[in-house]
This record gives sequence, C-alpha cells and structure tokens, in this order.
Amino acid sequence: MSTATQARTSHTEIPRTTATAGSTGQVILKRAAGSLFVLWAAVTLTFFVLRLVPGDPVTTILGGHSAAPSAATVAAVEAQYGLDQPVLVQYVNYLAGLATGDFGTSYVFKVPVLDILGPQILPTFQMAGLALVFAWAIALAFTLLTVGRGRVLDGVGRGIEVFFAALPPFWVGIMLAVVFAVILGWFPVAGDDGFKSLVLPALALGIPLAGFIAQVTRSSFEEALAQPFVLSARARGLSDLAVRVGHALRHAILPGLTLSAWAVGSLVSSAVVAEIIFARPGLGRSLVDAIINRDLPITLAVVFIIAAVYILVNLVVDVLYRVIDPRTNDKGAGA
Amino acid sequence: MTLRKAPWAPTALAAVVVLALTGCGGAASAQPDEADTFVFATGKDISCLDPHVNGDMPQASLAANYLDSLVSQDKDGKIRPWLAESWEVSADGLTYTFTVRDDVYFTDGTKFTAEAVKANLDHMVDPDTQSGTAGGYLKPYESTEVINETTARVTLNRPYAAFLEVLAQPFLGIESPTALKRPQAENCISPVGTGPYKIVDYIPQSKVSLVRNEDYNSAPPFAQHEGPAHIKNLEWLIVPEDSTRYGLLRAGQVDALDLMPSVHFAEAEADKKVQLVLQDRPGNPTNLMLNTTRAPFDDINVRKAFLHSVYVEAGINSVYFGTVTKAGGPLASTTGFYSPDFEDAYLPDPAEADRLLDEAGWTGRDEQGYRTKDGKRLTVVLPYTPAAWPTAHAALVTQIQASAKQRGFDVRIENQDFASSSEKYNNFEYDLRAGYWNTNTADVLRIVFSTEYMKSAGFVPNGSGFSNKEFDRIVNEALATDDPEIRADLYYRAQQIVSENALQLPLYNQTSQLALRQDRFANLTLEPSLSLPYIYDVTAVNAS
Repeated sequence: MSTATQARTSHTEIPRTTATAGSTGQVILKRAAGSLFVLWAAVTLTFFVLRLVPGDPVTTILGGHSAAPSAATVAAVEAQYGLDQPVLVQYVNYLAGLATGDFGTSYVFKVPVLDILGPQILPTFQMAGLALVFAWAIALAFTLLTVGRGRVLDGVGRGIEVFFAALPPFWVGIMLAVVFAVILGWFPVAGDDGFKSLVLPALALGIPLAGFIAQVTRSSFEEALAQPFVLSARARGLSDLAVRVGHALRHAILPGLTLSAWAVGSLVSSAVVAEIIFARPGLGRSLVDAIINRDLPITLAVVFIIAAVYILVNLVVDVLYRVIDPRTNDKGAGA
Repeated sequence: MTLRKAPWAPTALAAVVVLALTGCGGAASAQPDEADTFVFATGKDISCLDPHVNGDMPQASLAANYLDSLVSQDKDGKIRPWLAESWEVSADGLTYTFTVRDDVYFTDGTKFTAEAVKANLDHMVDPDTQSGTAGGYLKPYESTEVINETTARVTLNRPYAAFLEVLAQPFLGIESPTALKRPQAENCISPVGTGPYKIVDYIPQSKVSLVRNEDYNSAPPFAQHEGPAHIKNLEWLIVPEDSTRYGLLRAGQVDALDLMPSVHFAEAEADKKVQLVLQDRPGNPTNLMLNTTRAPFDDINVRKAFLHSVYVEAGINSVYFGTVTKAGGPLASTTGFYSPDFEDAYLPDPAEADRLLDEAGWTGRDEQGYRTKDGKRLTVVLPYTPAAWPTAHAALVTQIQASAKQRGFDVRIENQDFASSSEKYNNFEYDLRAGYWNTNTADVLRIVFSTEYMKSAGFVPNGSGFSNKEFDRIVNEALATDDPEIRADLYYRAQQIVSENALQLPLYNQTSQLALRQDRFANLTLEPSLSLPYIYDVTAVNAS
C-alpha cells in the first residue's frame, strides 16, 4: 500500500526498495534473507491471531449446527490436530512441518492441505494474471487516448477512471454475468472451463484496477509530455502517437508498475469475489472459507502462498525497473 | 490511496432488477448428449464427501444419491425396509436384529452383508471418524454382532425408539467396508455405496462427478421405479453465489439447483421452463432460543413478553417474500407426532407484552425508551454469524430487533465468526441464540430441550438451558416404547411443556427449495427422511 501512495504523491521520484542497492551478489543475499523473514512473519502473525482469538474450532470441524458429537469424538479431534497442546508447542510443530514442506491436514476436508490447494493455485493465478493484463490494456488505452487532448477529453477520462476505480468488483461481476452470460450467452455463467470462462471474472477484477492504474499513469504521462525530450521529438516531426508510445510511455508506466506489484498480491486475496460469483475453485475462496471455519492449516498455507507471490512479483518489478529505466542502477539508495 | 475492499454482502438486488427487466432471456446451446447428463447446482460447499464424517447438510444431499440406507422412511414417517428386509426389536428395546438382503453389491464389487452393517455403525461411532451428526445420533449404540451373512444383531445401552428413524437418514448411509478401511483422506474424496450413482471424481469447491450404477437393484420403497437410474451422468456443481446459481439455470447450464434464492421466486414461478420443488423439512424449525439460565430470560414473564413483542410473520413475508412457512411450535409440521395446537401460542400482542413486563418489574424507561429495572436496561444479546445464515435470515433478525425495541427491549446483535459464536453458545454467554435442528424424528425434542443435552463436548444443542425433570422423563419414556399411540401422547405433552415455558421464538420451517428446468427433465423428487434432492427417478423430457 505504501508504495502505491508514494507513487501517487511524488511520481517524479523513482520508487525503489533498499534491496536494489549495492552489487548484484549483495542484492541477492539481502533479497533472500528479506523474503524468508517476510514469509516467517506472515505465517507467524496469522498463526497467533487465529489461535489467540477466542473461539472453538472443534464445533466447526464436527459439522456445525446440527451435530451433537460424543465427548470421545471431540477428544479425538483435539488430539489429532494437536489442539490439546499449548499454543507455543502447536506453533513450533507447525514450523517444523513447514520446514519439511508439510503444510498439515485440513480440519474440514480431512485431506493434506496441498491436495486441496494444489489444483487451485493455477486457476487463481490465471485469473489474476488476466485481470492484470485487462487492467493495463484498459488503463493504457485510456491514458494514451485522453491525456493532453484538451480539457473536455481530459475531464471525461478522469471521470471514467474515478468511476472505474470506485466500482466494487462484486457488483461488476454480477452485472457482467447477467449481461454477457445470462442474457447474451457469449460466455459461460460460471465454472472453470478454458479461456472463455476466465474472461468475465478477470474483467470483474480488472476493471476497478484499471481505474487505479490509469489514475497513476495519467499524472506521470502528463509530466512526461511536458519534458523537453518530448518537445524535441515532436520537433523532429514524429507523429503524436509515435511520441506518446515511443517516448512518453516509458516514463509514464513506472509508477503504474509499482502499483502492479501490490495489485498482484491483492488480486490473489481479493480473487474471492470473482471466485464466488463465477463459482470457480481458487485460493481466495479457500482463504475466506478457511477463516470462517477456523481451518488453520488451509488459512496459513494460503497466506504463505500469497506472501510468496508478493515477494516474487516485487522481484520481477525491480528487474523490470532496471530494464525500463536504466538510471535505477546507478543510484545508490540510502538503506 | 487505499484499495476498495469488495463489499462482502451479496448485493443480488442489482441482478434481480436486470433479470426482471430482461424477462426470459437465456441462451441454451443444445448438445446431443444433454439428455444423458443431469447437472445439479448446490449452494453450499461440501467438505468431506463421506456423510459419516463431520455431518453437514450438503454431505447428506449428495449421499442420498450414491448411498442406500439400512431402512427407509415413507412420506407418512413410517419405517420401511431397504437394505434390511426385516428386523425384530427385543421387548426391552435394547436389541435390534436385522435381516439384510443377500443380492446387493457395492460399486467397488464388495458384497453387502451383515458384516457391512457392523463396519458402518462402528465407523460412525469411532471417535477418529470425527462424526458430529451420525455419531451424535448413535450415542446409545453399544455394538453389532454378525450372526451370519444376512443377520446382524445391534445392541444399544438404553431404549432408543428413534433408532430406526435416524438410520433412514442419508447421514447414516451404508458404505463399502472395503472402502472404509482406506485412510480417511481417501474415503473423503471417493466414498463407495450401493446406491443408484457412484462417485468418479471430486474437485473441491467445484464439482463432484457421478455416473450411473448399471447394476443397481436396491431401490427404496419410496422410489418410483426399480433398476438403474434413468439418467446416465450426474454432475453436482458447487455454486455458492445465489444470483450465479440462478443465472446458470436460466442460461441452461444447469438443470436444477437447491437453495432457490427467495428474490427470484416470483420470476421462477412465472417461467414455464422452471418447476419449483418445495418441501418443509422435519425437525426443530429455525428459531431464536431464549437463554433461561441468566437474567433477563430466567424470568418466564420476560420470555413470554419477548415472544408477544415481535412480528415474525410480517418479517417473514417481507424478507422471504412468502417463500417459507411460519412455524409457531417446537416441531416442524412434517415431523412425526407433530401437533398443530401450538402454532398460535404466542401471537404478537403489544398490550400483553407490556403487561407481562410490568409484572416482571421492568417498569422504568430510559431516555431512549428502553425499559429498565433497578437502573438496568432490558438488554438481550444475540451473538450472530452472518456467514452461517441466508441473507434473508439476517434481515429477519434485524426486523425482530426493531419490533422488540418498540416494547422496550434492547436487542444487541453481535456479529462474529462461527468459532466465536459457537464458544459463546456452548457457555451460555448469550440471551438469544439462532438455531434449527433438521432430523426426521420427534426425538429432536429431547436433543434440543432435555437436561442431557445442556452439556456437550462439541456443540450444545439445548440452547435454552431448559432443565425440567418431568420433561426429561417424558421424552425418555417416548424412546422406551414403539407403540405409536403412547408415543403420540408423550410427544404431545412434551410439545406442550416446551411451548408453555416460552423457550424459543420459532421463526420458519427449514425447507428444501429446488428449481428444475422442466423443459428438459421431469420427476425431480425429495427423499422423505430429510427432504433432500433425489435424482434417481429423474427422466429426460424428449426435446421436440
């Protein structure tokens, strides 16, 4: 979130992380240590929050509202999941399992966590990836077409961006489903069946995101168009579009790129909305269900995956930065 | 700048408006094999497919289509044979000797014998199975003795006349003993029965694929035909979002659904392509329990005043659009031994409510108009988990809060997750508690109101904390006889005691609400024990 804010408020300054400073070897070491720390912190925080809030997961495990299990059954559940041990012991056991790649067994599904989540990773990332592509496509189309085209177009562009950014994905999803699937029948209403079934959920997540990216990109685009090199490019007789795409765009997308790193992480966790509406299996839905059911092993595994994705995406963005804006390499950053 | 979190409240209204404006659209693409495949969309996620484990309704819904039970129940609540051809009950009610069929096989090739009866009952009561529902119903179970291949003798540790009734529920369906020997994780994704369909694939959160059991020869008496099912493939989709589920039906991508959303009822009724299949479920209706173990509801006058204060029927009509039936007594009308005499015991009566509150000493009023006694406000707390209830239920509870306020009650609805509310429920830290209990026997009265169920290792069913020796004696006596007349008398008295003591605010009957594309299929029925969707008799409508 802070990177996004930074991008909004001071878009001339190149956002960077401390980890990009120094020689490549140092960077890798710093990165690896930092990544492990983030993973550990995310899992630990989640573990203790879920374990220390009052509440009784056993009831949920045993079928909820119309069940009166025997005492022996309850004791068996507590023993099997180690719920009868002190929280710290449970925590150490969990970390020990994690170190060997064992995410434990789901309380509710009774099968190993990875058996449940494994098949859901790809659908969620396909959807989040396509949502990001849609978001960028819409945002770029908007900014390229409307920035610096006079007050009226500028105003219209801004207005639409704010409108998009303010749309709740839930509502967008239902509207898309009703119009394009139920009425027109162009896409399946729901399910996970090839590219066609990805389009609507990805749009539901992508449209509000496009609003954010376009807002950020617009300001930096305006700045870039006012730079001397743009003037000189125009003086060389380049067409307006060539100037926009060839010269200004590079500068304009950097803040949006930072925002994208954050967006991918949030797309995975907010995927639940699209997953519920379009009845797709996925990590977002698993996370929400697991929290409601106090299914600790599933919750922790999803948090772990989201944190790992976040780390990876940040890494990719840093590399892209160096590619798009070589100046990043020469600047030493104060750690 | 902050990311807008999606509002996590189903705003289906928008969809309703659009759907209503567009009338009857829907693009159905006909495929040649459509008549071979029945696609059913269920609205609640399924965890482990084996209904012995945990024990939530979605598991039983699916189980009704791939498991047979030992006995069946007919529409009048009578117990009929199924996998058991006959049975004898000993005079003391402790021994049940079942004679089972000799010609039935599980879909994994295992023969069904008395051995399977033992394996299944033992599996349900085994603590490691983690059975909340089936295991809970079998608390009186002691052991099973296999006399020979077709005779099993079950011993109970106390008389339990409801034993046969619970055996008829899909929760207690009979699974292959060979399959039960596998690790639980394996049996949870591919349980095996003798039923009309068999499970071939399960993608959690997405769908279960089933295929017809071609050798099926053990149809229950309540079925309309014998032999294999009419439809070859059964796809069981999991679609939690109401508008989506209904959209799928409209677009022709599913043939039937459950948890039919109330907001779409009018539209579905007007649609010639759609047939609604509705049936109230037996058991203890959806209700708010009043905690009698602490003030203010330890005073019966305050309880009665609360019941007279609220406008349940008006609330139901406004939020459920008349799609559920109001309940007024402790038993749903579809339960055996139900009596209608208690339906109108507590109609809205502001004057009577005021009189009772005055009598109970809640005579003061604070600035906000709430009643007070010794400077304390008349507050009742309801810990509530929105995720566990339909959206309409939350709206109904809010309306009850508003109508109770007019009589001076400060109803506080405290939203929290399920684990938190369960803990409060189990420790009687509430004044009101939302609940229901689906089961096919009047013995539900014992589960929900007797002293025995005030304590429970898992979930405490007796949420009113009612402990009454005479009531306990009556409901246990009703288990010690299988004479229907004696049981009817005892259960009548039990309903009377519950009603007189104002232990619950009954709201509406739990109900199964299905919608079917009748332009494609016919004969979607509900099995009688819990009113669950039953696909076995479904036939394809020959497309013209």
